[in-house]
This record gives sequence, structure tokens and C-alpha cells, in this order.
Amino acid sequence: MLILGVLRSGLYSLAAVGLALSVGVIGIVNFAHGEFLMLGAYFGYWLYVSYGVDPLAAIPLGAVGLFALGGVIYRSAIQRVLRAPELNQMLLTFGLSIFLQNLAIILWTGDPRVATISYKATAVTLGGFTIGLPQLIVFGIAMALTLSLFAVLGRTRIGKAMRAVAQNRLGAALVGVEVDRVYLLAFGLSTALAGTAGLMITLQLSVSPFMGLQYTLKAFAIIVIAGLGNINGVVSASLILGLSEAFVEFYVPGGGGWAEGVFFLLILLVLVIRPRGLFR
Amino acid sequence: MSLLALESVTKAFGGLIAVNDLSLTVEPGEIVAIIGPNGAGKSTTFNLISGLLAPDRGTIRFAGADITTMSPALRAHLGIGRTFQVMQPFHDMSVLENVMVGELFGHAVPKSLAAGRADAETICAQLALTHLAARPATALGVADLKRLEMARALATHPRLLLLDEVMAGLTPTESRQAIATIRTVRDGGVTVVLIDHVMSSVRDLADRVAVLNFGRLIASGSFAAVAAEPTVIEAYLGVDEAQP
Amino acid sequence: MTARAGRAILPAVALAAAVVFPYWADRAQPYYLQIAINVLIFATLALSWDLLARTGQLSLAHAAFYGLGAYTSALLTLRLSIPIPVGILAGGLLAIGAAAGLGILTLRLRGIYFAIATLAFSETLRVTTNQLRFTGAATGLVVPSLLGGQRVAQYLAILGVLALLVLVSWLINRSRWHFAFTAIRTNEEVAATMGVDVVRFKVLAFMISAFFAGVTGAYYAHVFLFISPVESYSLAVSVGALVAPIFGGLYTTAGPLLGAIGLRVGEEVLRTSLRSGYLIIYGLILTVVILFMPRGLIGVYRSLTRPGTARRAP
Repeated sequence: MLILGVLRSGLYSLAAVGLALSVGVIGIVNFAHGEFLMLGAYFGYWLYVSYGVDPLAAIPLGAVGLFALGGVIYRSAIQRVLRAPELNQMLLTFGLSIFLQNLAIILWTGDPRVATISYKATAVTLGGFTIGLPQLIVFGIAMALTLSLFAVLGRTRIGKAMRAVAQNRLGAALVGVEVDRVYLLAFGLSTALAGTAGLMITLQLSVSPFMGLQYTLKAFAIIVIAGLGNINGVVSASLILGLSEAFVEFYVPGGGGWAEGVFFLLILLVLVIRPRGLFR
Repeated sequence: MSLLALESVTKAFGGLIAVNDLSLTVEPGEIVAIIGPNGAGKSTTFNLISGLLAPDRGTIRFAGADITTMSPALRAHLGIGRTFQVMQPFHDMSVLENVMVGELFGHAVPKSLAAGRADAETICAQLALTHLAARPATALGVADLKRLEMARALATHPRLLLLDEVMAGLTPTESRQAIATIRTVRDGGVTVVLIDHVMSSVRDLADRVAVLNFGRLIASGSFAAVAAEPTVIEAYLGVDEAQP
Repeated sequence: MTARAGRAILPAVALAAAVVFPYWADRAQPYYLQIAINVLIFATLALSWDLLARTGQLSLAHAAFYGLGAYTSALLTLRLSIPIPVGILAGGLLAIGAAAGLGILTLRLRGIYFAIATLAFSETLRVTTNQLRFTGAATGLVVPSLLGGQRVAQYLAILGVLALLVLVSWLINRSRWHFAFTAIRTNEEVAATMGVDVVRFKVLAFMISAFFAGVTGAYYAHVFLFISPVESYSLAVSVGALVAPIFGGLYTTAGPLLGAIGLRVGEEVLRTSLRSGYLIIYGLILTVVILFMPRGLIGVYRSLTRPGTARRAP
């Protein structure tokens, strides 16, 4: 049970860290985040079914594609509402989310699809526990990507620029950071991370146009628990979510259905009791 | 009896103590200026008095009544009015409508729409805003916005008026007009507490000056007296805004 | 003709047409009657959402009140054989109770935090209803029919509810409340220091708004005769309730109504050409409106009739 929760939290981290980046650096709470994840998942499914490409091998291509898409959307829409009231920003991305979801329904119908990858059901035994191989791979890659994002933010020039902008937009602009370029990069990176998370979902679960909302909300739950804009808290917050879901699934009768409600309750509780997040 | 009394009031944000064991009284009819370097806790003090923040420790009394835990709206009904340092007009409303909010809701006994409108027009006339009354509040310049801030506060007919930097960013002529307005308000029976960085205005207006530094009251008295205090000079040393 | 009389004519004509319409449609085009009921449900939800939005509270929980109303009335009429109109009223009252609770819990939350909290509330209700056997779980409930299933009478019933809501909205916008709502929406702290009882007005707006959403949900249950957690608490309900006012013009009485009619007609047209995914129109409209016409249809209309006055901050 513990292991299941921990493994799941890897994917959650990856899905949430992109959103946290968008919130933290640009100040945009992107309601369409899950839809980018959904697009990534469909991309992986399509490549696998048409050309037999393993979703893992498709990650670089998918990430680049989603990065470009994110860039286009930033330039054509997000950029225009940066100074608009928060309400307008929220509604814009909300509209984007509904648009992308229904576009997917029109293009690919609403039916869930499953990529039957050869090692999907393979399990490995580790220290007495049996673990699904895809789950293990996904966890490994997700954690590696999340941690390397931290490294990028902490060490590189562009990472430092992002953190500078996150802390003080005007100040960063004054010392010569090109704020607009940083925003573009941050948003593209955010959608690319979502797309990567989506590709990895293809590896273990089904793909459907409706999957986006669920992940948007889980990512929200996580960044709300971490504290909006607090990128470092994401991993611990993902653990909390993954573990509490697994806990409910195992110990509550009929738990499968209730687990879905866990993160909503978590969001509600955290917002009401500690709106600034648990880790601040 | 003092109109306003802060008794050992403390307010901290996380590890930062913004207001530290502050005791301060204001007598009816006074104009008191609160000065101090940036971050000294002046605006926090206003937020504590007007009820936007609750103190961690200490008591706040208004006209003898303990208002420490009272809501901002009830304090407004009792007679505490304030302006904000960063001007924040209600931007979906005209100038007159902005003022009407104070007339309609700033009293313990609710006013009708018609009465509120008429009284708001009177306030606008007092503050030379009549010609702008129908404009959207967002269309005003800085000096007009400052007057609108004051008009909104006066529309609640306060006994105590808290003015947060109403003269910042004004030209010397506009400042002189503002000073005249504040005197008129006081002569009409309103007690005034103001925060300001413009020392000449403070000198001209204030009956008494309270100096804050790091959330503590370090001096209190006439302008000349506090200006001579070594602790005050030390607190201001090297701070540009302290130039008279 | 005075300007005042001129302004009164349009609503009067619209109301007369709305009352006469079902008698014509019932004979000529029963399908239109069905659509009209849909539009009225949607318009009621949209206007009730707008009432709450006037205090700056952007709810994504309208499905919650809608669903609560539907389930309350369905369960009361099914299990306790309570008369349907009483059940519908009870649905509205329970929604008021829930709104008071949620309103107080979320008082301190602004903007996006508030939106997420309300969405979480709505989804929690959906998951709970989905799990309980008492509420028919995921299968849903078959619900008795309002007014013996007569479409014309049903139409007039929801028209009555909407007319009442229009009256409430119109009165609010002409009263002291309008000033309190607008002040709270633009700056809660300033409003409070000017004596506006922020808590009272925010919670009141929540309760009134939820009442109408609850009644509408209950009505929907007794007209469409079947409810399930997925449909009643669907995000599409909350989305529709918010897109219509934004499209038509926020914080007005006519805007949400116009938006609701426009959207439902557009949806109907798309529904016939696209088998699924016709909700795309909501996404498209929301995006376009936010980017290019932040004051909605009403704003466009005003800028056409009174050039120069429409350029205020959104």
C-alpha cells in the first residue's frame, strides 16, 4: 500500500511541478494544464499504435511538440491577459481547457483507448514486494525529471532568471532579465512537463479526452497543499496525495470510488484551514 | 477620556514584529502625525485601528469601548474612517457612487438611496469633486484620487479620521490645499491621525508627533521636541524622506 | 414616449412573447418547447450565478446546488411521497443551507482559491452521491413527473421561477445592495472600512444564488425524470452557468439571459452537425470573449449605442 502510494506520487509530482512553474513564475493558474497532459497521452498512443514507437522513446519528441504548442498558446492568448484581472486569466485558461477537451472528443471520440504495450503487465519483485514494471519505470523517470528541473532552477542561468522573475517581476526586469522570454520559456516548459507526464500515463493507464480535468485538479490539490507557487513543496505534497489515496483504497470499504473524493476533500480542507499551504 | 487608546499592542507577521508593544493615545480634536522610516509599522498600526488586522496582544479602545476584536464595518459605524496609502477606488463605479458607499453603509442606522445620494453630493462639493462626480473613478488623476479617498472616508462621518499618506505625490499647491482641507475637517470636530513622509506638512499640521521605529514608539511630542531627540535623528539618519 | 416608458416596453414584450410561446409551440413544434424549457433552466442558472459573482465570488459550485436541489426533491418525493412542488421548494431550501455553510467556510478565500474550493465542494458531493446506495449510487434515480407531464404547464412553471429571479436581480441592482455588492467585488477591505458588512452580504448573495440554483435543479429532475451523479453534479452545469453571464455581460440582469439564449441556440445548432464535443462552443466563446470583448454582448451593444462610454476597466 505504501509502495503503491509512493510510486503514484512520482507521476503526480511531474504533473504538478509544471503547473507550479506556471503559477510560481508567471502567476497564471492554468486550468488547461491537464489538457496538455491529455494531448501528450494521445500523442504517445498514436505513435505507438501507428508506428509501434514505445511511449518512453517518444518523450523527447512529445516534450518538444508540447513545448512548441505551449509557446504558441502563450504568444496568442496568455500574453494578452498578463495584466488583466486574475478572474480573466482564470477564465481564459478555463475556456482553453474546455476547448481542447472537446476538440479531442471531436477528433478522437470520447471513448477511452488503451495502448497494449508488451511489458505493461510485467511485474518485478523487489525486496519481497511485487511491483508493476511500468509503474516503477514511470516513477523513476518522473522523479528524475522533477529533480533535474530543480537542478535547472537552482544552477543554470535561465533557472536563476526564472526564480528572479518569480520573486520580483519589476526587479528582475530592471537588472536585465527579459521577463517576456522567461515567461515564454516557463510556460513552454510547463506544458512540456505536462505532455511528458501524459506520455507516461499511456504506459500504464487508458487515454481519454476527459482525463485532463482529473489531473488538473490533482495538480491543483498538490500545489495548494504545497502552497501556491512554492515549487519545492511539490514532491512532499505529491507524497501526501498519493499516500492518502492509496490508504483510502485499501482501508475504506468500496474504497476505489471514494479515493477519487480524497483529493477534493484535501483541497477543501487545506484551503479552508491553511490557505497559504502546509509547507510555508 | 481619550478618543483612541492603544494599550501595549503587538502584531507580528511570521518572525517579523511589525508593531511591538505600542501604547498611544489620541485626544478628541487633536491632529496627530505618525512618522517613521519605511517598515516602521505605521500602516500596520492603521490596519489594527481600523480592524483589518487583529493584534496578537494588547487592547484597542475607542471612546472608552474595547474594540480590539470588533469588525471593520462596526468600527466604521462607531466613527472610525480611513484612507489607504495605495489609492483603491471602486473601479466599476463613478466618483459619486464611490462616495455614496460611505454614506449608505458608514452609519449604524442605514440610509435610503436618495438620502445617501444627496449627502454624497454634499461631500463631493466640500472636496471640489462635483465637476468629476459622474466620471468613472478610474479616470481620475493622482490629486483627484487622493481627494476621492478622503471624500469616501468623510462620507462615513467619522469622529476619528485616519489619513495614510494623503499628500504623497502632490505638488506644493495641491499639498497646501490638502492641508487646508484637513484643518477644515478638524475644525468641524473630527479628530485626525495621519501618516506622512513630507516633514513640512507634518510640521504645519500636527499638534503632536509620534515617531515609530521597528514597530516601537521611540518619541512623542511637539514637532520641534521630537526633531531634537537623538533617537529620532538616529532612526532617520541616511533616510532621504526625512529631509524637511 | 418618455425614455422610461420606452425602456419598460422591451421587457414587457419579451415577457408577453414568452408566455404566449408555449401555446403556439405545443401545437406547431413540440421540439421547440423542449428546447425552450432547456433555455429557461439555463438562463435561471446563469442569472443566479451572476448574482453571486456581483460580490466577487466566482463559483464553480453551481452544479453542487443544482444537484443538491435535484436529489433532495427526488428523494423526498420518492421515499416520503411529498408533493412535488414542496419537494422542489425543499431542494431550494437545502441549497440555501449548504450555501450558508460553504459561504462561511470560504469567506476568506479570494479569486482562484475560492473557485478551486467551490469546485472541490461540488466534486466531493458528486463522489459522495456516487457511493451512497441511499441516493441510487452511480445508477441514478427515476423521478416522478411535475404537473402530470404537461409540457406547457411545466414551461410556465420555470418561466415563473425565472421571472421571480429577474425581479430579484433587478431590485438588487437598483437598491443599496448594488453598492454593497460592487464595493465588495472591487475591494473587500476598503468596503469593510467604509462600513459595509462584508460577511453578511457575501453570505446572503450565496444563499439567494444557491436557492435559485437548487430550485432549478429540482425542477430539472421532475421534468427530465431521471437524475444521476454524473449529470446532476456535472462540471458542464457549472461551466454553462458561468459562461453565459460572461458572454452576455456580467453583473447585469439582461446579460446572463441573452448569453444563455445565445449559447443554447448555438449549442443546439452544433449538436445537429457534430455528434459529440459540441461543448467546444463554450470554450471557444469563453476564450474569445475574454480576449476581445471583456464586457460581453451588453458591453458591445453599449459601445455601439453610446460610443466612448464603454471603455472602462473590465
